[in-house]
Amino acid sequence: MTWRTVLGTLFIVATSIITAFWAINEPARMADTAAGFEGRSIEAGAALFENNCTRCHGIKGEGLPGLAPALNTREMFNGTRLANLGWAGSLEDFIHGTVASGRPVPSEGTTYPQRMPTWSQEFGGPLRPDQVRNLVDFIINWEQQHDLSATAEKDATESGPVTPVVDAIGTDLAAPDLPSGDAATGEQLATTLGCVACHIQTDVGPGWLAEKDPNGEGIGVRAAARIAAQDYTGAATTAEQYLRESIVRPDDYVVDGYPPSTMVMTYGDQLTSQDVADLIAYLMLLK
Amino acid sequence: MSLFKLHLPVLDDIKSQGLKSALIAKTDEAVERLTAGLNIGEVRSVLRGDPPSRPNPRVKPHADGFWMHIRPTFFHNKVMALHPTYRLGWLAVYFFVIETITGLVLMLWYTPSPLVAFENMQDILSNVPFGLLMRDLHRIGAELMVIVVLLHMLRTFITGSYKKPRQFTWFSGGVLLMLTLFLSFSGYLLPWDQLSLWAVTIGASMAEATPAIGREVNLLVRGGPDFGTNGLLRFYLLHVFALPLIAFIFISVHYYKVIIHGHSLPPSDENVGEDTARKVPMPVRSYFLPDVLTKEVYWVALWTAVLVFMVTVGNWHAPLEPHADGQVTPLHTTAPWYFLWLQGMLKLGDKVFWGVIAPGILSGFLFVMPYLEVGPSRRYVDRRIGLSVAAVAVAAFSALTYMGTPYYAVSSSPDQEVVAVLVPQTHPGPLRATPIGELPVGEYKASAWSSAPTSGLKELLELFNHELHKFQEELPDSEGLMIIEDWQPGMKKITVQVLWNSGEDTFSQNVYLHQDSNYGE
Repeated sequence: MTWRTVLGTLFIVATSIITAFWAINEPARMADTAAGFEGRSIEAGAALFENNCTRCHGIKGEGLPGLAPALNTREMFNGTRLANLGWAGSLEDFIHGTVASGRPVPSEGTTYPQRMPTWSQEFGGPLRPDQVRNLVDFIINWEQQHDLSATAEKDATESGPVTPVVDAIGTDLAAPDLPSGDAATGEQLATTLGCVACHIQTDVGPGWLAEKDPNGEGIGVRAAARIAAQDYTGAATTAEQYLRESIVRPDDYVVDGYPPSTMVMTYGDQLTSQDVADLIAYLMLLK
Repeated sequence: MSLFKLHLPVLDDIKSQGLKSALIAKTDEAVERLTAGLNIGEVRSVLRGDPPSRPNPRVKPHADGFWMHIRPTFFHNKVMALHPTYRLGWLAVYFFVIETITGLVLMLWYTPSPLVAFENMQDILSNVPFGLLMRDLHRIGAELMVIVVLLHMLRTFITGSYKKPRQFTWFSGGVLLMLTLFLSFSGYLLPWDQLSLWAVTIGASMAEATPAIGREVNLLVRGGPDFGTNGLLRFYLLHVFALPLIAFIFISVHYYKVIIHGHSLPPSDENVGEDTARKVPMPVRSYFLPDVLTKEVYWVALWTAVLVFMVTVGNWHAPLEPHADGQVTPLHTTAPWYFLWLQGMLKLGDKVFWGVIAPGILSGFLFVMPYLEVGPSRRYVDRRIGLSVAAVAVAAFSALTYMGTPYYAVSSSPDQEVVAVLVPQTHPGPLRATPIGELPVGEYKASAWSSAPTSGLKELLELFNHELHKFQEELPDSEGLMIIEDWQPGMKKITVQVLWNSGEDTFSQNVYLHQDSNYGE
């Protein structure tokens, strides 16, 4: 009985020590395993791409002229493509959405004869949701093939007619200083970004035009009045600053009667200071 | 006058006996309550291994406590050694408990839906601390439980312990064997990977063979023509609710019968026709406290250490293949190993006879065997026929199990077989396990394996070449090609190609391999 007690105690101690070592290594092991599944997802995506996508998008995603656009390009990953489309979400969301639900309407300025079909079973396509995610992982993996550093971007710009990378304005109100804006460009931007959908065409957000306002004042007039109002919670001191704040930090002050967090929150990462300046120039004209 | 008066009797005791002796008396009382009858002095003497005084105070917990009253007060000395029981019945219960604990932990992160089940499995392995450990313990516990239950049955047969008066104990054990198999089988589907879907699909294909109502039985089992949302939910509910509940009931019945008849003694220790397990003379008794309990705690420590060792240091891991896909049947798919004999029988001929009627007769015979085989002697020498039949049965089941594997009577094209050795469809295999750095870009011939630039590639090509030689007749004048290309950052594309008839016929398969995939076998 004594040897059993000793040996049994040793077993318990050994189990505890092994488990303790396991616990110490657990975060690293979990990270490895997660990377492993990511890698396997990319592999599965490669096989799916080979079977379903190469006929239009090319064997290595280089695109086929006149049939379907390239996916394996610098513009796809440096933000140009998303900016041109006015896409508010992340690149991953864009690819996921496009693969899953297809493109019933072609992008503006393109004349591809075929529509991108829907691929996810959720929208009547042939692939399971996990297979759509495999494809997204595979396409995103091309990003590392493109050197997106500032110098490489500059070289690429100088060597070809490629739109420069988005130098986003950020959410700081003080810096950078705004260049002078062009109201006509701003008006165009308000349409492509989709601002007009909520602020002009419907009343989801505060209406910009004078005729929608109970007091008959356009956004260009109200912007100056807001910062003086009792309930104003933002940091702006001028009408222009108020508009900038409303675009890049929409939740700092929400006009009474409208729910918070409804406005797109990512414009600070998406728009350049020129874009914002243009928008403000346009908005200030709406008296 | 107060509404109630707070009265602590211990204060009175302290007042009358003094602090020290009052506290000692109170502690003694508490220990006696917790142990349902043993005071501190007796616990100490149990721990020291002192012989009990008379009358033995250590039998009181068996009368007063719930847990202890389930266990017998003493065993016969003859059944205390490893032989004749090998603790196999005890081990089966141990694994049932381990499965319950690890299973409850796994349930926290699992949703039985084809949309998320596989993702849940990946999360358990990559995002839940100790998730991998829990899953591996659950899986290896399940495999060992099946083995232990089978060995327990075999042992019971060999020692003739199913004979009168223990026929019903055997019968309830037969029910528990079926429950163990179906618990394991129902759990097989839950990860919702290719391995589980196809193993269970093959296992469940017997349902279709049921005479007259095959279609209905099939729909009932699978929840549709094929496994999907309904089938997964059905198997989940069987696995976590119905089967464990029935198993719990039958374990209770089985153990009650074991205790009421006593553990049967080794056959040579009794006269033929006698059953003396319940009449244990005083000198040959081993009391539960402390002898049996010590052994059991020791065995818990031993087996837990073994299990944890196997899944950590031993690097044994439950497999997880790619997401289940009802459209793609992997080459060489099999049923779980404990149903391979059934798959082997199906290769013998008629699906209804070999898939339903024959297994039905066999398992039916298993249940009623003790009521048919009524020879009075448990001694080996008197049971030559019975023991021979058992030996033949074990051999037959082993042969049938082999016949159930893809190595027996499965004809597929040899070119695919060769490629499947390098890139199998039921497990990662040697090519995926090779580090990506060992696979330099280029075009390599299997016949020129010895000049391959890396050792990993050399091994793969040699294997490739070896497999091609095996099929010289079917694939005359053959050559194997392996084309390795850089495909994406961190990922290579490997094309494995078999050419034969001087290159007129070819078969090729692509494999994509990412540097992080971590298939390392």
